Amino acid sequence: MFKKLIDNAAAKSPWLYHINAGSCNGCDIELVAVLTPRYDAERLGFKLAGTPRHADIVVVSGPVTVQSKDRVLRTIEQVPDPKVIVTLGSCPRSCNVFKGSYSVAGPLDKYVPIDVSIAGCAPKPEAIIDGLALAAKILKEKREAKK
Amino acid sequence: MLPFVKEAVQQLFSKPSTEAYPAAPAPAAPGYRGRIVFHADRCISCGMCERVCAGGAISTTSEETEEGTLITRRFFLGSCTFCANCADFCVKNAIELTDDYHMVARDENDLVVTGTYLKKKPAAKKPAACNADEPESTVKPRDDGLPVSDPAKCVYCTLCAKKCPAGALTVDRKEKIWKLDEDKCIGCGTCHEVCPKKAIIM
Repeated sequence: MFKKLIDNAAAKSPWLYHINAGSCNGCDIELVAVLTPRYDAERLGFKLAGTPRHADIVVVSGPVTVQSKDRVLRTIEQVPDPKVIVTLGSCPRSCNVFKGSYSVAGPLDKYVPIDVSIAGCAPKPEAIIDGLALAAKILKEKREAKK
Repeated sequence: MLPFVKEAVQQLFSKPSTEAYPAAPAPAAPGYRGRIVFHADRCISCGMCERVCAGGAISTTSEETEEGTLITRRFFLGSCTFCANCADFCVKNAIELTDDYHMVARDENDLVVTGTYLKKKPAAKKPAACNADEPESTVKPRDDGLPVSDPAKCVYCTLCAKKCPAGALTVDRKEKIWKLDEDKCIGCGTCHEVCPKKAIIM
């Protein structure tokens, strides 16, 4: 009974971990806007975690540069399963305008499977809320599948 | 102390400053550039959108059928910067960026916008008529270095006329006229470079 209570509560409050993989900061600012009072994703249960080990949802922005690649992958590995990987904006999905650059090692799906992609450059905060809601749904599905 | 109490009571009854988004719809601001809509019926296959695309999001595939060439243009929103260069450069306004920002997908294919249209083969009559005027459709370059258009290749997209720095070109799409004002032309070659169909020979 106690476990069920915890599971229900955890499903309603997924924690985010945000990784900047060489982003231009546009998407990062939009994500911050989502978490601060104007859009307040915390009212929907999303909370920014301080460490990847506490996170359920990983939000990656940026085209995964050569410098950041190892660090991004190491950070994603530290997130406990089941985890949901969300790409913020066009960059991690396809490298966008940085495609073909000598310093870009992306896109992200070369290394890890992407669960949700939020398109936009940068995405509107409302679109990010949509994406996070979908990520929470996927997280719930993954947890149920694991049982 | 009293002003604070007044403020506190006011705030208690005022609306929250947080957007109610998932509960209430939030329309995008006017001029917002969101999901691409491609009007395939208007496209004249000049290929300008593909060339100006900053993120390399546009690709084209073609398939030969009996009736003509089946051309499919594919816009991958996951690679799009939403700069609207494609829409700005499209002479026929076939590309439109709508205010739909709900672009969230589990599957990559949900972020793809495609449009297919049929580029019909020239009717049997038309080439015959052309051949009567000019025995060979290959247009020879002029001796004086001025541009000349190959009517077999030209799609009358008017790009050359728009780009001409001297305003020497008149192109009418409806009438299928490509006219050069020889006195105005400075022979710079801009039209030759800009022609998406490589129809201008210099």
